[in-house]
Amino acid sequence: MSTGEEGHMAMADRGSRKRRVGVKKGTKAARNKKLKSKPSSSDRFKVTMKNQKLFQKRARDYNSDEEEEDESKKQPEVTIREKIFSDANMGPNYEEIEEEDGEDNDENSDGEDHGEIESGITKFATDGCNAFKIAFKAIMKKTKGDDTLGPVLSAHKHLIGEKLAEEEAEKKAKGQARKAKHLIAEKGHVKPESYLDSHEKILIGVATKGVVKLFNAVNKAQHAQKGLNPSRSKDAKVLKKRRKEAFFSELGKTKTDPKAQKSEDEAPAWAPLRDNYMLANPKLKDWDKKQETTEGDDFAAMSGDESYED
Amino acid sequence: MGRFKNNKKSRVIVKPIPKKNQEDVSHVTGDKIPKSFVFSRMKLPGPVKQLQMDLRKLMLPYTALSLKEKKRNTLRDFLNVSGPMGVTHFLMLSKTASSLSLRVARTPQGPTLTFKIHQYSLASDIAQSQLRPRCPQDLFKSPPLIVLSGFGSQELHLKLATIMFQNIFPAIDINTVKLSTCQRLVLLNYNKDTKLIDFRHYSIRLQPVGVSRRIRKFVQNHQVPDLRNLQDVSDFVTKAGYGSESEGDEEAATVTLSSDLGRVNKGSTKSAVKLQEIGPRMTMQLVKVEEGLCTGGIIFSEYENVDGKKEKLKKKQDEEGAEEEEEDSEEEGSEDGEDMDEDFED
Repeated sequence: MSTGEEGHMAMADRGSRKRRVGVKKGTKAARNKKLKSKPSSSDRFKVTMKNQKLFQKRARDYNSDEEEEDESKKQPEVTIREKIFSDANMGPNYEEIEEEDGEDNDENSDGEDHGEIESGITKFATDGCNAFKIAFKAIMKKTKGDDTLGPVLSAHKHLIGEKLAEEEAEKKAKGQARKAKHLIAEKGHVKPESYLDSHEKILIGVATKGVVKLFNAVNKAQHAQKGLNPSRSKDAKVLKKRRKEAFFSELGKTKTDPKAQKSEDEAPAWAPLRDNYMLANPKLKDWDKKQETTEGDDFAAMSGDESYED
Repeated sequence: MGRFKNNKKSRVIVKPIPKKNQEDVSHVTGDKIPKSFVFSRMKLPGPVKQLQMDLRKLMLPYTALSLKEKKRNTLRDFLNVSGPMGVTHFLMLSKTASSLSLRVARTPQGPTLTFKIHQYSLASDIAQSQLRPRCPQDLFKSPPLIVLSGFGSQELHLKLATIMFQNIFPAIDINTVKLSTCQRLVLLNYNKDTKLIDFRHYSIRLQPVGVSRRIRKFVQNHQVPDLRNLQDVSDFVTKAGYGSESEGDEEAATVTLSSDLGRVNKGSTKSAVKLQEIGPRMTMQLVKVEEGLCTGGIIFSEYENVDGKKEKLKKKQDEEGAEEEEEDSEEEGSEDGEDMDEDFED
């Protein structure tokens, strides 16, 4: 705590000094004007007397906190010389602060102070320094004991912790929501095994049976018309005749075939309900023969059968 | 000249009226070729979108492969387009929190079959699971064959499903069809006990039988074989290679070709039919049959007796249930279990 007090002391001293600078300017207006006119020549802005006063007032307002503090320790106005002397006197005091705080700033500001007194140009620079100093001091005052998160931000340690926890919770909630959504999206999606299990084998067997049946039927049908081109009219006639014959022969067969007759008697009257409704294709020559060989419940219907009447 | 130009400019450009699309009718059989749209009227999650794409590929070549749907598109929009385009079937995927369903409908006036998809695998999943996924160039240039198995029971809704799926692909005239166009196969296998339909998509390949594997590969691959370890060229021909494990059941799967098929399979020789799975794999259940296109009276419903009022109530409950299910997924499982119980009771 002793360091803080001393810091305040130092500030107060500097504050008073600065105010004196302002006063000094008031008294030696001509010299000041000359000095001030230099920056105005840079075309940026013109500093008239009025403006200058305004700036000064603003500067004073800005530093008003110190001034209030200063007022209690107000010292009678001193000349530059006295001030330099006082600076010299203060010298060891500054050094003490330096040692205790471990700062390098004060030494620098010391040098600047001298410069400022000589020229008056570096006033703003020192102002900035001062502001920085105040801020820095404030932070330094705030510091709380030893902490893992560092000396400066330790004051907000619990805040940081809270924020981190909040973020984590948010992330977790988001992740869970995404997971749930993904689960819903993937529902029913199954990656197949690399080997064929028995069910797949059965299915392939069924499919193969169907293909073989179709291919055999196609071959049988096309074997008869081998060497005939259906696009040629002459061949087309022959083909037509052959198909007709095949159809009639089939009709004859079904009439004579007692088994087929029997099956028809058993089947319901409405055509679509019969077992062979989908399958009775006049174009398949020996369809009923096949029907006998295949089992009833496991029939494969090719889309080649165009006998169904819609 | 100027006048002429002006005339040209002012003339309203009339597109030549397209001739009646020849593709609507196959020139071989003279039947109308069924065409299909595969779409969804909601935003689908990634894998389901992929499934939709796979289904489109499956329905090739008579489908709109890159059909773009927007959120504001209603069923009526698709219906309006389907008329002039000659589209006869709609396949609609929809996804809710609890279930994924596929509706197969005939345009313009139904019926609509609603399938609940219990499990599915994408084409890419299946390709990944295989050692050598097969995809010849012209695989998707011809429509697939369809094989329906186990649908032979007397139940009417199954009959309807049979007819629907038979009509979804163009019919084949066995007198004129070229076997080289039969490259793919869609299998629908109905299981009586579980009431589930297995949906599989295979590619068909024919291999000559009675030739040693080495020679077959040599002929197929066009590659110079490695003869370093052999004493004589005759060794290459005579030495038997490893027998394939599937050679046993080859006899049942052999076909005698009447004409040449490709370079390898010569006419009047025996060829083995080999199937390799491609495309999507689905396990689905016929849940509902509606009279109209996604509307109209319910002909068949898996979960409830055909009773309009009850059905409506049930629907409402379902909707509420779906909303609840989003909140707690635990209930979902139990509900599914109940559904299954109902199935067994039936």
